[in-house]
Amino acid sequence: MTANSVPSKIFTPKAARPAPVKTTGAVAWMRQNLFNGWFNTILTLAIVVGVGSVLPAMLDWVFLSASFSGAAQADCTGTGACWVFINAWSQQLFYGTYPAEEIWRINICVVLMAGVLSAPVWLPHHLRNRVDIALLLLFPLVAVVIMDGRLLGLQYVSTDHWGGFTFNVMLAAVSMILGMPLGFLWALGRRSTSMPMIRSICVVLIEFFRGVPILALFFMGSVMLPLFFPEGTTVDKLLRVWIVLVLFMAGYMAEVYRGGFQAIPKGQYEAADSLGLSYWQTTLLVILPQVIKVSMPNILATAVMLFKNTTFLLIIGVPEVLNTAQSALNNSAWLGGYASEAYLFVGFVFWCCCFGMSMVSNHIERKLDTTRR
Amino acid sequence: MSNGKSPAFYNNPHVRALVYQTLLLAGLGWFMFSIVSNTLANMEARGIRTGFDFLGNVAGFDILMSLVPYDASKTYFDTFIVGLLNTVLVSVIGIVFSTLLGFVMGVANFSSNWLIRKLSVLYVEVFRNIPVLLQIFFWYFAVLAALPNARNSISLGEAIFLNIRGLYLPKPVAEPGAGLVYGAIVVALVGIVVLKVWAKRKQDRDGSQLPVLWMSLGMLVGLPLLAFMVAGAPFTLDFPTLRGFNFQGGITVIPELMALSVALSIYTGAFIAEAVRAGVQAVPHGQTEAARSLGLRDGQIMKLIVVPQAMRVIVPLLNSEYQSLVKNSTLATAIGYPDLFTVFVGTSLNQTGQAIEIVAMTLTVYFTVNMLISLGMNLLNRKVALVERK
Repeated sequence: MTANSVPSKIFTPKAARPAPVKTTGAVAWMRQNLFNGWFNTILTLAIVVGVGSVLPAMLDWVFLSASFSGAAQADCTGTGACWVFINAWSQQLFYGTYPAEEIWRINICVVLMAGVLSAPVWLPHHLRNRVDIALLLLFPLVAVVIMDGRLLGLQYVSTDHWGGFTFNVMLAAVSMILGMPLGFLWALGRRSTSMPMIRSICVVLIEFFRGVPILALFFMGSVMLPLFFPEGTTVDKLLRVWIVLVLFMAGYMAEVYRGGFQAIPKGQYEAADSLGLSYWQTTLLVILPQVIKVSMPNILATAVMLFKNTTFLLIIGVPEVLNTAQSALNNSAWLGGYASEAYLFVGFVFWCCCFGMSMVSNHIERKLDTTRR
Repeated sequence: MSNGKSPAFYNNPHVRALVYQTLLLAGLGWFMFSIVSNTLANMEARGIRTGFDFLGNVAGFDILMSLVPYDASKTYFDTFIVGLLNTVLVSVIGIVFSTLLGFVMGVANFSSNWLIRKLSVLYVEVFRNIPVLLQIFFWYFAVLAALPNARNSISLGEAIFLNIRGLYLPKPVAEPGAGLVYGAIVVALVGIVVLKVWAKRKQDRDGSQLPVLWMSLGMLVGLPLLAFMVAGAPFTLDFPTLRGFNFQGGITVIPELMALSVALSIYTGAFIAEAVRAGVQAVPHGQTEAARSLGLRDGQIMKLIVVPQAMRVIVPLLNSEYQSLVKNSTLATAIGYPDLFTVFVGTSLNQTGQAIEIVAMTLTVYFTVNMLISLGMNLLNRKVALVERK
């Protein structure tokens, strides 16, 4: 046999290749997203160990060994958080020292506010522009009348008793409502080419209210503003604070609108001119809606900033929510350090509102974005 | 005239503009006049003096922390300087740490590690949406107040101590010969600039790249280290030691400064992380793909393609974040850190009553600091801005 002459003809299979690495399923996902490379593996393990060592203790403190029910310090028997503290002070935290039997008035105001602010969503199309603006501008007045109560023949509640979280919310809302149109006027003034005097005044106003720390503005409102009025006139402290907030808001909004104006193509003005629209018709009917649309995310971001900044009023002694929390912490019946509980609770309430607003902002941004279809 | 009618003069835009502006100016003039006259009358009625003479008077109160020698016998002008320096200190600390934190967290958003990505989102969404004053209070009253007393301090290698009274760090004390080390640092800095220029020329000439970053780092660390050895270790460390109930020696970081720096850094860091994320996202994906198809490595793509383009978006945002950090540093007054606002607008104003002068000086400082930040960031912006054809 000459078998040796044709060895190459004999079929010898190569060793089978290993099966391809799985690219689907939980294991593959973990390999791709958690353990790709030694660096990511170390990071993943570090985070898992870190979270694993902290999270159980935190959950235990917040839920398992926390005390929830009761009304006094003695009810805090657990080793964890004492949520009884929040329970006992919740009315003050939300409504300040407003008389308990009159709190329904604040609730009405909050409901009204929610209704007015969401009006663009539920009002029929043809009513939106006319009714909504009127509603918005009317709301601050109505809210003040209800809270004050004298004009309606209700019990009078002085502004010293307006406080708590609802106060933060409403102060931010009414400052926003008045600051937005004022800021638009300033932004228009800043764009004016034919009236240099008005332009420079607007520039000074905008830069001043944007450049000064808001704390300094509050301070000026509470300490210096009384010096500016004729002797004998007293202006309510809250009104002074409100004026400051509106002007602060107007400065920031003017800058937001400026960005919006820059995004409007020149053709829009030219088209409006060729239709024979006047300056105010062009501005209000053609330009303003587009400016608002373009700058909606920034408007909401500024609103969130203003809302968070209402806590700074604590420094000049306005009983807003953080101030209420501080005085609750210093109350002689509750000494013993419930700072973590108080701040976590107030922080959580703020977080829910601000995060909710940024979600709304994202939603509007996606809805208004006509470029991606 | 063709139609026999010229427009009425009150419809002439120029006339209208003039009338509007005159009216506004008159109104403004009246407003200013009444404010000034009211203020003067009120101040006279309350017996408040005017002018800047009070700056030379003895202040007579102590300040918790000062970077320059200060005691109660110094003048109001000294309180201004002390407050100003403390404000600058906390602003610089805040800017440095918030930038570091913000860039790390912003880049973490693009990590291939799922946990890191989620961590970055969690950080931004949690800390951005809680008022900064609340965060300052949380760190000051809830976290730092829970630290142990001096005897039970948390210590790191018996050199760094942390307790309820503050953070104690060892302090380097210069001895004769330290000048050589300072000199070496200056030489290294000059060397880095020269190296950078030379490397750029070399690359323009023959296309070869030098590892500038590593060489610079080597110089910056190596030269001072060499000088340190040659001069025979001209620095000693002054360690904080427990004497009685408190620590003596070393550098003391008071809890107010810690709480304020930590809160401001974390809060502003969240916004900077968001800015970095927006910046990197603004770079079209095609840029990365094109760079990859040219054969650039991942590190090179990041350094040469993505970062320079992302910086165009990031720098203007950083500018406004830094400015709001400086403005938010006035919240020091809520926990008693002696910044310009606490010391000067707080105590000094209470004692002298000269609100107008003091507030004017303070506002000037904040305007100036913000202007300097703006100036610096605009210079940086000009460097990173897109160079378009003329």
